[in-house]
Amino acid sequence: MMSKAQSAIKASNLFKRFGDLIAVNNISFEIFEGEIVGILGPNGAGKTTTIRIITGLFESEDNSEVYIFNQNLRKNLETCKSKFGIVPEISNSFRDFTVRQNLLFTGRIYGLSKQEIETRAKVLLNQYDLYDRINTKTKSLSKGLQQRANFCLALLHDPPILILDEPTSGLDPISVSIMRKRILQMKEEGKTILITTHDMQEAQNLCDRVLIMNKGKIITDADPDTLRRNFKQKSTVRFQIVNHISTNQINQLEEKLKIKKEKSGYYSFLSDNPIHDISSLSHIIEHSDIEVKNITIKEVSLEDVFIDLIKKTKRSENND
Amino acid sequence: MIKEKLAVIWVLCKKNISLYIKRGPVLIFGLMFPFFITLSWVIGRDISFNQIFIGIVAMTAFFTSTAISPVILPQETREKSLERQLYYPISIYEILLGILLASFLYSLIITLIITTTFVFILSVSFSSVLQIFILIIGIGLITFFGSLLGVLLSAIPSDMTSDIMVVSNLIKFPLVFISGIFIPLSITPFGLFVLSLFSPITFFTDLMRFCTSNSSFFNVGLDLIILLLWIIVLLIANVVFHRRTMPKRFSEGNGTQQKSKKRMNK
Repeated sequence: MMSKAQSAIKASNLFKRFGDLIAVNNISFEIFEGEIVGILGPNGAGKTTTIRIITGLFESEDNSEVYIFNQNLRKNLETCKSKFGIVPEISNSFRDFTVRQNLLFTGRIYGLSKQEIETRAKVLLNQYDLYDRINTKTKSLSKGLQQRANFCLALLHDPPILILDEPTSGLDPISVSIMRKRILQMKEEGKTILITTHDMQEAQNLCDRVLIMNKGKIITDADPDTLRRNFKQKSTVRFQIVNHISTNQINQLEEKLKIKKEKSGYYSFLSDNPIHDISSLSHIIEHSDIEVKNITIKEVSLEDVFIDLIKKTKRSENND
Repeated sequence: MIKEKLAVIWVLCKKNISLYIKRGPVLIFGLMFPFFITLSWVIGRDISFNQIFIGIVAMTAFFTSTAISPVILPQETREKSLERQLYYPISIYEILLGILLASFLYSLIITLIITTTFVFILSVSFSSVLQIFILIIGIGLITFFGSLLGVLLSAIPSDMTSDIMVVSNLIKFPLVFISGIFIPLSITPFGLFVLSLFSPITFFTDLMRFCTSNSSFFNVGLDLIILLLWIIVLLIANVVFHRRTMPKRFSEGNGTQQKSKKRMNK
């Protein structure tokens, strides 16, 4: 967990309704300077609406407040907006402008001089390996290159807060790798990063903290490691038995380790302490003629936690 | 602060001109429409040169000014670049003023070129410099009115340009046909005359008659005041409607967005 230096984003009682649908239901959270916070949730959970409220695109209803570096968003809308760099899931730069024209336009809007834009753009385009495409229209770029261009546009005015809306969705592995490296570098540079993603591995690797949302509410706010540690479900140990074994031997394994046979032919068991249980398994094997191979441990992932939390929410709603 | 705001509006205006001036709907509704309507009106009819001049200038001013401004918001909603602009430290009003200015300049420049050209082709004469001055003011007012009307039409929260163009034509064409472009007010039947009072183009053509032949139906001052009043009304309407409809462009369940997605899928 980061040292709680300065509050970068503080949102309280956010609420947004579209007709009968409550998209964001009275949520509050705080993000501190230098943190990478992930907002996770199934489709329609309210992630994008939350982002649109805290960036000033939507006005929240009721008695909600958003503070950006302790400045009230409603009262200082333009100052607060200038603190953000936003990378959308789908490219939203001007499709008929070249990368250079898009950068010039964006820079001018932020009040940068042409010289400042050129200098900063050169650095960013080189960082994102895009300099040779400076005069290409953005509509002619591949999705991965468009997304890199979006990062350059978002970072042009050197904002302290970056909002990344599914930044690696649908990208090739090379682009994903570049993006993730840059996100971690930006954290080292002290930027505050809010990221929405469906990729649990990405959230686990990048985020200091995750907010899991479902149906407009935050159901969990914790760091990924704590979430995994506190998760009741255990790690799974899987292995293959090479030779034929008797029913008696199977019963012995089932009794000691609660082993189950999967449809794939693999055997597996749940474990709180996989290393200890694997040594128990080895002990049983040593004293029998069972031959085992391909032993793997599947640790509890953020994805397991996420799926379990969403299912629990659904179950409790059904019970209500 | 004001200087910075003006600089932002100018940047937005330049972006709009460079991106949208060559788009199909702008060329069709802005240049081809007035050209072919004028052609079909003039050919085979005994119409005075002054009347032709008034018709050409009025139609060019009105059609060019209402061509570019309705196209931009639906297009940018669809391409999501409107959302990008709203994330910038600018307000919806600066975005609208950028559209308004682009439309106004595009229309004003084209109309002034057409006006100057046809002054020579049709040998239109002015009896005083004041008449030339009033004509330029009038062109400025009608193009500003048309640009505002176009921006107002784009308040419909659709991301389909064709949706806006349908509504736009439903309003634009009656405004042209009931005005004094085709029939001078002095010989207009009473029913049509009453209707024509609801079209600001009526007052612009009347103002042009004063400039070209000293024979306006109303007082020139009244023409100018009514054009100004229309501008004020549309300014207020733009603020009210865009404030109301802008958030609807980004709501996930927005009907128009779903409709356009369906059309795209087809």
